[in-house]
Amino acid sequence: MTADLSRLLNALALVALDTILVLAFADQLWFRDLPCPICILQRAGFVAAGFGLALNLMFGPRPSHYGLAIIGAMVGGVMSADQVLHYIVPGTGSYGNAIFGLHFYSWSLIAFAVVVAGSGVMLMFDRQFESSSPPPLPLTVFPLTAVALLALLAVGNVASTLAICGVGLCPEVPGGYLIFHENLGLALLKSP
Amino acid sequence: MMSLPFLLFACGLGLAWTSRREAAMGFWVAGVLILLVLFRFHATDVLNLGL
Repeated sequence: MTADLSRLLNALALVALDTILVLAFADQLWFRDLPCPICILQRAGFVAAGFGLALNLMFGPRPSHYGLAIIGAMVGGVMSADQVLHYIVPGTGSYGNAIFGLHFYSWSLIAFAVVVAGSGVMLMFDRQFESSSPPPLPLTVFPLTAVALLALLAVGNVASTLAICGVGLCPEVPGGYLIFHENLGLALLKSP
Repeated sequence: MMSLPFLLFACGLGLAWTSRREAAMGFWVAGVLILLVLFRFHATDVLNLGL
């Protein structure tokens, strides 16, 4: 596999991760389905996994970058698995909306597993690591869009999480946007 | 507090954009460590599983 093909596949994978984060935002804003604390942490897991792919695009493919993607996906996968196990027994409830029959945390677990497996497969192709051009590599439109969108989504999640949780830990079941509470100023002052 | 991992990842991506790869990876490590700490704070319910 050439470095160019590797970069194309990394860009496609990063767009897929970006799409997951966009869908999570769409569910939150369009269907008013506020994310639970563990759901927010899973979003961060997707950004952590995408970070490794973004480095592959900016500096060229390296095993260490795939390592970041794998570890990020494993951390996110632990959180998804925790939530799946919480609701795995029928009749014990669920959290949020289901899409195509599975809840978001179940899809997350599948997506994180795919990132780990995909990174493992990519690591088997050594030729991609023999790049002749020195980093940083010039980004063409497609990889540039994928990386910029990931950065934008990370910043968007900073704002969203601050709006839902304020500056402290999130409530276990979010009741609304804390930022719209009239006593937010007092909550900020009182927080340790 | 909960937005900190996103902030660190965003800063890391900004550093990578300016060609500071090692610093970017440092921010990634800090973000993942904080992510794990936050998970520890929030995963308080014991799972009723027989393993």
